[in-house]
Amino acid sequence: MATMFERYGGFAAVSKVVMAFYDKVIDSDVIGGYFENVDMPAMIDHQTKFISQVMGGPASYTDDVLKRVHTPLKIDETAFKEMMALLRDTLEDFDMDNGDIEAILEEVRVRQPLVVHG
Amino acid sequence: MNLDNFNKVLLESVGVGLAILDATSLEILMGNRRFDEWFPDSIGSGKKVGEVLAEFEPEKLARKIEADKPYSFETSVHMKRRSISLAITCSRHTHGDTAVLIMECQNISKIKELEYMIESYSKMVEKQNRVLQKEKERVEKLLLNVMPKSVYQELKSFGVTTPQRYDDASMLMLDFVGFTDMAVAQDPAGLISELNDIFTAFDRIAEQFGCERIKTIGDAYMAVSGIPEPSPEHALNIARLAVLMLRYIKRRNSVHSQKWICRIGINSGPVIGSIVGVQKYVYDIFGPGVNLAARMEALSEPMEITLCEDMHKLIKNEFYFTERGEMEVKGFGTKKIYTLDGARGVIQMRSDDMIDNLPI
Repeated sequence: MATMFERYGGFAAVSKVVMAFYDKVIDSDVIGGYFENVDMPAMIDHQTKFISQVMGGPASYTDDVLKRVHTPLKIDETAFKEMMALLRDTLEDFDMDNGDIEAILEEVRVRQPLVVHG
Repeated sequence: MNLDNFNKVLLESVGVGLAILDATSLEILMGNRRFDEWFPDSIGSGKKVGEVLAEFEPEKLARKIEADKPYSFETSVHMKRRSISLAITCSRHTHGDTAVLIMECQNISKIKELEYMIESYSKMVEKQNRVLQKEKERVEKLLLNVMPKSVYQELKSFGVTTPQRYDDASMLMLDFVGFTDMAVAQDPAGLISELNDIFTAFDRIAEQFGCERIKTIGDAYMAVSGIPEPSPEHALNIARLAVLMLRYIKRRNSVHSQKWICRIGINSGPVIGSIVGVQKYVYDIFGPGVNLAARMEALSEPMEITLCEDMHKLIKNEFYFTERGEMEVKGFGTKKIYTLDGARGVIQMRSDDMIDNLPI
């Protein structure tokens, strides 16, 4: 069976979602501050690979890497929740199937312990 | 020209940032809302464009205008946590006596992001290609272990190989006396490890003489010369290989507690070389000459090299022999049998050095 990554059109499609997602993220007063002075093209590139990975595309990041890059950022649970809400919002904007949205969010949710250290 | 009206109708309605500069003083005379957002407090402030945009270079502008070309550069502005990349183009326009510069600012952030991603993915693909290439080389190396290079190339190009007949070839069969008993009586793992060392040494000697190891079956070792590349010295090379293998074993026995006793049969004759199998490739040789070499090995006394008249006539001037007389060889009738005792003169190819350098 084709993965979500393949069904939605691979990296090209995922990158559109991720760009729209970061538009919302930067506008958010809850988590926008984390992204001040961040190299956005690099950020979007990483996130595109990550979302591709949780959608069943090629894997780029191990749990160890995710933990290592997020630990110094001291991300708290509120920020994580906000991020999840914005991601859901974005995925809905792209008219993705509800089941797929839940599946992607679940994949991200299980990685919360790697990301939240606040 | 009613610039106020122009300003209202056009400038405000477009998504790009637009500004009009005095062509001489480079002051920013007016701009649309987008320009004002990106460069606040610059329109009509009397500020020159260079004070607002650090990347602006008046000399370059002058050169471009001189050549009647637009002047372009890139910059970025920071707006509420966002860094926006802008592509800016200035062009000169005149209306009667008035000369102005029109400055267009396009938001190219998304393009930058995409460029970054393309770059990143092409690196990813390159990396994967390198991994694949390495894997391919590894597979190639493995295949080259089981078949001659020219056969591998044929297989790679055509997907199949045709059996080849080689009229001038020589082969060698070696096995160890009492190996089966040795293997069960003592430490089998250690014994196999020793056998592995010995076969590895044989491979290196064979390589030196342009011979190919065809296969090993248990404790038996089979090599060939003259295929797939023909060699006028195929018989001599197999004889040299046999002499040096024996010398290597003797040297090894003088140092190790485990004594290896081998028998070697050599022969010359036409063979067919071919890949056998589809999923499991084995390159093998066939022909009566191969069987005869096996018979010679069986007739051989321990630590001797045995051959018959067929091959003897090809190498009789280069080696010493002991004639063992005529014997009945199963499937081949009566043959005159010889034992090869050694080479007349020194075997070339730094043979003694080579044996010395092999791990024993």
